[in-house]
Amino acid sequence: MSSLVPTMRHVRGFDVARPLSIGVLVIMMLPLVFLPLASIFIFGTSKGLASFWAALMAPEAVFALKLSMVTSFWATLFNVFFGLFAAYVLSRYNFWGRNALIVTISLPTAIPTAVAGFALLLLWGPYGLLGRFLAPNGIQTMFTAGAIILANIFVTFPLAFGVIKPVFDTMSRSLEEASATIGATRVQTFWHVTLPSLRGAIVSGALLTFARAVGEFGSTILVSGNLAGRTQTAPLYIFAKFNEGQIEAANAIAIVLALFSFLIFSVLFFARDWLDVD
Amino acid sequence: MRKGATKTVAGPCLITLASLVLLFSSCLPTPPSESGGINLTVYGFSIMKEALEKSVYPGFSAKWKAEHGQEVHFTSSFAGSETVTNQILAGVKADIAILSIERDVTRLKDAGFVVADWQAFPQKGIINQTPFVILVARGNPKAIQDFPDLAKPGVRVIHPDPVSSGGAQWSILAIYGSELVKSAQESGEPDSARALQTVQAIWRNVKSTPGSAREARTQFELGYGDALVTYELEGLLMKQAGANVEVVVPRSTIFSEHPAVVIDRNVDATRRPLVEAFLRYLWSEDAQRAFVQYHFRSVTDESLNEAKPQLAKIELPFRIDYFGGWQRAYPEIIEKIFRDQVQRRK
Repeated sequence: MSSLVPTMRHVRGFDVARPLSIGVLVIMMLPLVFLPLASIFIFGTSKGLASFWAALMAPEAVFALKLSMVTSFWATLFNVFFGLFAAYVLSRYNFWGRNALIVTISLPTAIPTAVAGFALLLLWGPYGLLGRFLAPNGIQTMFTAGAIILANIFVTFPLAFGVIKPVFDTMSRSLEEASATIGATRVQTFWHVTLPSLRGAIVSGALLTFARAVGEFGSTILVSGNLAGRTQTAPLYIFAKFNEGQIEAANAIAIVLALFSFLIFSVLFFARDWLDVD
Repeated sequence: MRKGATKTVAGPCLITLASLVLLFSSCLPTPPSESGGINLTVYGFSIMKEALEKSVYPGFSAKWKAEHGQEVHFTSSFAGSETVTNQILAGVKADIAILSIERDVTRLKDAGFVVADWQAFPQKGIINQTPFVILVARGNPKAIQDFPDLAKPGVRVIHPDPVSSGGAQWSILAIYGSELVKSAQESGEPDSARALQTVQAIWRNVKSTPGSAREARTQFELGYGDALVTYELEGLLMKQAGANVEVVVPRSTIFSEHPAVVIDRNVDATRRPLVEAFLRYLWSEDAQRAFVQYHFRSVTDESLNEAKPQLAKIELPFRIDYFGGWQRAYPEIIEKIFRDQVQRRK
């Protein structure tokens, strides 16, 4: 990826469109993104850093952050492997129903997350299609960390796939063919030739999935049970604290999540050059 | 791509990934409360939080420890009463539910979650009570004195959503019933047309319907409305916290009565003694004192309520019995009057 930004030179002398358009862009973003984010920081730290730190270190807050990270990690791990596998199958083989599968994988993008939540409840809940057979055996999936992972997997299902598949599609197959002609097995070719050129896509797919999972709210509020210190993720903690009127406590965690996504997207942005080697 | 480069990257990548997996697999965080001892899970309606967490839980834990030597920990979740009930119906492993409205106990009973006769406990299963009042900004800028004033033009009312909140249903019953009681006092005959008109007119001024009484209070605190109909204790808690509010006591209003029940389906024989001991503790002198301290009113000891001057005197109070109990109030007022004639014609 080139780091040079091509500049247009259609005008002689000072190009007034340049500062003007940058200014308009920033002014547009001000009330839409910058100021809402700024108010989180302002309110979160309004009572001083000591109370911000105390809010952050509350055992239930720490638990909520950890739970979010762990459940998102497992959902990411699954979805990256799944996305890689699905992208491989769906771009290498042409078969009846292939397009239907591609469309289905993409569906969770547009399904409201609340629907994802109660769809899981309808399947795994005590009266659900599968849940009704599991419940009598003492197996409970809903209202556990497992339910949060399932919900995260559902809502982030298309993300890694969506990043990896286009790379597969446009990948030159001549390298793989060359690898095959010198006697490499399928696995060797995949490991040494295909996978390295997917490195960038895998990392960005994983980061996107993880970021999205950490922020997931609509489905987890339904399937987790929302027990503080037990099944309450960071976004649920924020919601609960906000509803209780403890705005500072809610803001402290909101700041952490905001910084966290800033970090993830910075990594995505700056690591791209390093990762996209080909 | 150079072959050597691939190798050097793939190796460390794999090792990092594997160690991360190992790191995280042992890493589902342990709940802060789960360090030995037994756990009790309580699902409560939104405004129970302070009294339970700050006073009732520690009180019971200390008592149980003294008597049985075991550590008891509490885990709880608070939301609108209907939401809590739906969560339990969907399968959350609650041991005890403390609900705003008896109708929710009936729903749990109908679905087989509550089997035993819950009204066999003291006070027919009701643990505390509180009247419904109006909260306004300090100085009462819109001059609101009673429920009908909420219908005045330009008054922005925040009212929780009766679909998810028990408090919202109490509030509707409070407004509707108070008009019946007042008209009966004035003319000898309860005027249901007047009551309906008042509810309809107030709902034209409702600007927001949050999910629970506590959410409604947060919105009100953030300055979104001129008036909020809610439990008296919410107003007193806000005043205590130094918020810019004033409590307006209507001439006639309802006392909400809050039931607590064991979720029989989730409680096995070994844990039942503990769960029932906790439930009974809610009617103990200590717990009732704690409720009054957090501005509820005691159901067992009227002298506790009288000893607290902040609790308002209501001129014409009434209870759910006035409507013939929840089994009639819900279908006849919340459904036939509110849902069919207020909400759908708004």
